Amino acid sequence: MLNVRLLFFTSLINSIFAFSQQKKDESYLFKNQIKFSVVKFKNEVNFNKAATFFIEKNWDSTLVYSMRQITLTKNIEILDYCHYFRGISFKEKKVINESENEFKRISNNFEFNYRVKNNLGEIALEKKEFKKALKYFYEIEKLSNTLIYDLKRSIVLHNMGLCYLHLRDFNQSEKYLFKGAKLQEVQKDTSLLIGSYIDIANLYYEQYKDAQAIPYFEKAYQLSKKVKFFDLKIAAVLNMAVVEENKKNFPLALVYRKEYEAWKDSLNDQNKVWAIADLEKKFAVKQKQKEVNVLAAENKAKKAERNVFLISSVLLFVLLGTGVYFYRQKIRSNKIILAQKNELDELNATKDKLFSIVSHDLRSSVNALKVSNSKLLDNLESKNYTELDVLLHKNSSIASGAYNLLDNLLNWALLQTQQGYFYRESLHLTSIVQHVEYNYKPLMLNKNIDFKSNVSASDYVFADLDSLKIIIRNFLDNAIKFSKENGTISIYSRSASEDFCYLVIEDTGLGMNEATRKELLKETILLSKKQNDDIIGTGLGMQLCKSLIRKNEGKLDIESEENVGTRIIIALPKFKNHG
Amino acid sequence: MDNINVLIVEDTPAESDALVKVLTENNYNIVGVATTHQEALTLFYQNTIDIVVIDVFLDGKPDGITFAETINIVPDGQKPFVFLTSSKDRQIFERAKLTKPFSFLLKPFNELEILYALEMAVEKFYEQTNVFHSEDQNTVVSRDSLFIKKNKVLKKVQIKDILYIEVEDRYCNIITDAEKFVILISLTKIIQLLDVAKFCQTHRNYIVNLSKIEQINVNDNLIILKGNHKVTLSDKYKDFVKNFRILK
Repeated sequence: MLNVRLLFFTSLINSIFAFSQQKKDESYLFKNQIKFSVVKFKNEVNFNKAATFFIEKNWDSTLVYSMRQITLTKNIEILDYCHYFRGISFKEKKVINESENEFKRISNNFEFNYRVKNNLGEIALEKKEFKKALKYFYEIEKLSNTLIYDLKRSIVLHNMGLCYLHLRDFNQSEKYLFKGAKLQEVQKDTSLLIGSYIDIANLYYEQYKDAQAIPYFEKAYQLSKKVKFFDLKIAAVLNMAVVEENKKNFPLALVYRKEYEAWKDSLNDQNKVWAIADLEKKFAVKQKQKEVNVLAAENKAKKAERNVFLISSVLLFVLLGTGVYFYRQKIRSNKIILAQKNELDELNATKDKLFSIVSHDLRSSVNALKVSNSKLLDNLESKNYTELDVLLHKNSSIASGAYNLLDNLLNWALLQTQQGYFYRESLHLTSIVQHVEYNYKPLMLNKNIDFKSNVSASDYVFADLDSLKIIIRNFLDNAIKFSKENGTISIYSRSASEDFCYLVIEDTGLGMNEATRKELLKETILLSKKQNDDIIGTGLGMQLCKSLIRKNEGKLDIESEENVGTRIIIALPKFKNHG
Repeated sequence: MDNINVLIVEDTPAESDALVKVLTENNYNIVGVATTHQEALTLFYQNTIDIVVIDVFLDGKPDGITFAETINIVPDGQKPFVFLTSSKDRQIFERAKLTKPFSFLLKPFNELEILYALEMAVEKFYEQTNVFHSEDQNTVVSRDSLFIKKNKVLKKVQIKDILYIEVEDRYCNIITDAEKFVILISLTKIIQLLDVAKFCQTHRNYIVNLSKIEQINVNDNLIILKGNHKVTLSDKYKDFVKNFRILK
């Protein structure tokens, strides 16, 4: 008797277990409906998440997000779905009371109300409130097949049968269990059928109708051989063992017991295999994690490498840029240096030429003095005093010529080295001209030159005193040099413009041709000796004058006609503060 | 009219002799020729000097500039001077230039140039430039003297000797105790330049040295000066009489 009761409970639990297994997979239709509602409420982030986790059977997350969604929304449809999710989640987590509460919160309009009822019924069954459970199952059973298309009616019927069995209403129990078994036979649902057969067998066995019970046990046992569910096999075999035991057929009972042990072991093995698989899985995951770590490290290294490459390339580029810049700079400075070198070479050549000409001039001057002096001595011995006077005059003119040359040379050097003092101020042009001509008066008298000076006393120029004197001195010297005996030299001023005062030095001397005139006005060309060896000098005086006029911001112009005369026109800036 | 007193600071006898010759010929009075810095200072402070001619280099050192710097330090003792130099070296010039007013003469020079340089020195020193070569003025007025260019030569008249000045067109007749001569300067200019505490215009043509007034006869419009010179007093200028303390 004790054994029988034990058997009964075992099978009952088994049957419930089988039925729950069936429920774990929500039907595809229901899943689709959930997906559809997700699309419908896609703005509700929490709902979406809850639904997703629900489908993934991540119950804890489903509970969290559905709770959030419930606090946020007032939409009844969403609320119903959320409560449903929560109910299922709690049920799966075996928190039956909470689950029941959640299911009860769902409104009657919920599309899947029959599922709610079914769940409530199952919960009631589990809580052994069989009458309540029956009430729920009846409600479902009344619904037409089309409305509960995704629920297995056989399970409902089976559950009803179980309820009656527990209530010991064997007739009703028999009726519903057979109804369920028939449906299952039609649907060829073997695993459910095994549970049903076991339960039917139990039903009969409970009523001590062994003859009716045993065929069902055997049927269940035969069917259990075809399925792979260990718990079904174990239950079936155990039932057979108990039955044989009760029939006192111990050898057979022993065989069944052994088989039962074997299945139980294999179940344990299975569990072990599962555990090992689990371990392996964990190990694999660890390995994978390691690999991932290694890859991450590699990635990091690669990233660092790439950065280094980037930085170094930027640095190289900058280096290249600066290199190019300096190279260009170098080329440019080289060009400048080359140009300067050429200029310097030219200047140096000019200087050399000047040097040779000047030394030649000086040499001939000194030589002339030497010759003249020896003549002087001769004449002194012979007491020829008239000749002495002539010679002395000649000597003095040679000396003054040489002096002028040296003076120009010195001024030229000062000008070139910028060592000379240069200070422009207001100058009374007449006075300066008078000062210069004062020195040349004896010379002109000697050559019997008619000299006219007619510079306006009101002319003031803005110039450096000494350079102005050098300019006038040189031009006057030239004028005298190129004048014939009884010629005329006149100096006068022309105040033609606002800014400039024109000083004109005019002679009636040799004059020059157009080419020479142009040559003279050209810049930085030294006039070498050409025609008239005796009188055309180095050109140094001319160069000096041109440079000084330029430095005083003046201008030079020459008008000349051969054998008629020359007119030198010097334009000097006026002194502005004085009328 | 007095001659101008010139002090020559020059260490080369040949050059100083030539200078003395030229200047004496042109009626300048050579006070002395100093050859050293010390001697120059002694001569400068012992005598009445109008112009100093200074050679930049004394015995190879630029003592001439030192001397010029020394006499420039004493505010009332400053006199016009001219530097003589044969070098145009810029460094020396930059130093000499600091002794303002600065004028120089480059050796060798002729007679005209030295006379011109002296005139320029006077003009620059008393800040009345372009006077001696202009056609409408020949006098530079200093605090105590008139420098007058007469026949290409500078002369000097002490202002305290002047009795009165009579204006005639562009000319002014200067009347002193001893003589009477004509200078070329406009009335407005000479009034500007003369000390108002000493000279006063009494008539559109007369400027009178106040210290020389003996008697003012307001009724006859007459002022009688020392030496019995009589000057007209016009109504327009009578106000100046108020400047005197009148005994009634």
